[in-house]
Amino acid sequence: MTGYFALDWYFITLIFFAGMYCMLVSRSLIRQLIGLEIMSKSCLLGIISTGALTNNLALSQALIIMMIVIEAVVVAVGLSLLVKNYRLTGSIDIWSLDNLKG
Amino acid sequence: MINDAGLLAYQLIPLFTAVLIPFAARRKPGFSAILANAALLAGLINIGYALLKPANLAASFANIKEDGFSLLMIFTIYLVALCVTFFSAWFMEDRPNRAAYYCLILTSVSAMCGIVTTGDFFTLYIFVEALAITSFALIASDDSAAGLEGALKYFLLTCPASLFILFGIAFLMLTAGTFSFENIKVLIASGVPAGAVVFAVSLILLGFLIKSGVVPFHAWTPDACQGAPAPVSAYLAAIVTKISGVYAVIRIAIMLRLFEIKSYHTSELLMFLGMLSIIVGALAALKAKEFKRMLAFSSISQTGYIVLAAGIGTPLAILGAVFHLVNHAVFNTVLFLNSASLEKAAGAGEMRRLAGLEHAMPWTSWTSLIAFLSMAGIPPLAGFWSKLIIILALWDGGAEVYAVLALLFSAVTLAGLLATQKKIFFGKATEACANVREARPALLAPVVAMSVLIIALGVFFPYIYSYLIETIAARLIL
Repeated sequence: MTGYFALDWYFITLIFFAGMYCMLVSRSLIRQLIGLEIMSKSCLLGIISTGALTNNLALSQALIIMMIVIEAVVVAVGLSLLVKNYRLTGSIDIWSLDNLKG
Repeated sequence: MINDAGLLAYQLIPLFTAVLIPFAARRKPGFSAILANAALLAGLINIGYALLKPANLAASFANIKEDGFSLLMIFTIYLVALCVTFFSAWFMEDRPNRAAYYCLILTSVSAMCGIVTTGDFFTLYIFVEALAITSFALIASDDSAAGLEGALKYFLLTCPASLFILFGIAFLMLTAGTFSFENIKVLIASGVPAGAVVFAVSLILLGFLIKSGVVPFHAWTPDACQGAPAPVSAYLAAIVTKISGVYAVIRIAIMLRLFEIKSYHTSELLMFLGMLSIIVGALAALKAKEFKRMLAFSSISQTGYIVLAAGIGTPLAILGAVFHLVNHAVFNTVLFLNSASLEKAAGAGEMRRLAGLEHAMPWTSWTSLIAFLSMAGIPPLAGFWSKLIIILALWDGGAEVYAVLALLFSAVTLAGLLATQKKIFFGKATEACANVREARPALLAPVVAMSVLIIALGVFFPYIYSYLIETIAARLIL
């Protein structure tokens, strides 16, 4: 069990940083959202993995179901903001979001 | 898991009202404002009586069974939310989707009450996400480009924070096996190897620091406050970012304090970030050209005081941090609501287009002055006492350098705020401001009430102090 645990966390951190890299380098708002989703998936995997290690899978399943619900709502809100912004300004480039200053 | 079932009503009643509003106010949109105000007023009277009934005053609050921190925060949430809904009832009479706006406000009040009454990290995370979602929608609720930009920045810069919180929760499950505050405290007291638990709690702390807008992570705060519609920015700056971030930071600081020597570096880092936000916030406020943006930067600076006090973590400092959190909510509401009246009356938020409004808008001018002086910490007002407690606690805890710097930048804050007051209200009126008239009495009522509260909190400080000592500081020692 413990050997698998190390391997799990190797991939979990890899996925987390892949998502973070996606958020850091891309200019498109859609790619930013995808990066955010990749990061949150790695968090879910982390909770499953710790649940398996501590023999507490029931608790971690309950947590995961709650988190999936929350994530769905967060993504819906993010996409709606994105669509509204696209209708208003015609662009999904994050560098065009620079009108607030002073 | 809710700590105290008696407090559940404060969370459920706004939620039910939010569900009710779209049905009840379908024919008459104006009814939604009345319903929202009535629900919040009822809650405020209820919690106010629970806190200040004569029996409690006579026993100097020793007979309050609930967590004093939660009760005080619920009171503050209802107070600010009532001021904002009352103000918006008169401020945005002709908005098309008012019912949705009041639903969102009530839902976020419910989420905030959930945050302050919960007793474990996972429930805290759920309510923080619910609060974040409602505030994205509130910022973008007027469909303007500025509002959408603020909301998108808030979204993209704070959503990674909740992932840090999730990672912290996963580690907590691995190392402690429990999320409950009480169980973690017991676990720490029983002397488990603390390093791993400190790491987990520190990850969660990092998430909440990003959410509270402390300096290296502050990029979204001024934009979100500036882009949001005027009453929403008051709501956002005064209470939402404070409950979703700073409240949890204080809770975790209370917990980390129990590690004493083992979490030394975390506490040191927290103090450093607090000091950094005081400095950067005060200096950036000096340079800002837009009134709301300047207020947002001074709000960052005040958050710095709270985080600094949470970092030193002695009972006296925690007490000061809690009181400063309340004060901050009160004076920020006054200032942001005043900025909304100014924007409506003079048609501009840029400070160079505003001048000499003192005679045209005397009430707005005086209430702003009271709030500015409270923020800078001038003696009879409430802000003085909380800053005094924080600085005394810093000196007492052996952080003399931080105490001196905090005192020094309090003076810088005063200079910046008085310069703003002079630019906007004193001097000769410009052409744009010649025909400005005072805001309507209904718009002034919440602002004047909050200003009276600032003075009252300062004058009746002994009562507040005994409340804080009896219900918070005395129970911190395990």
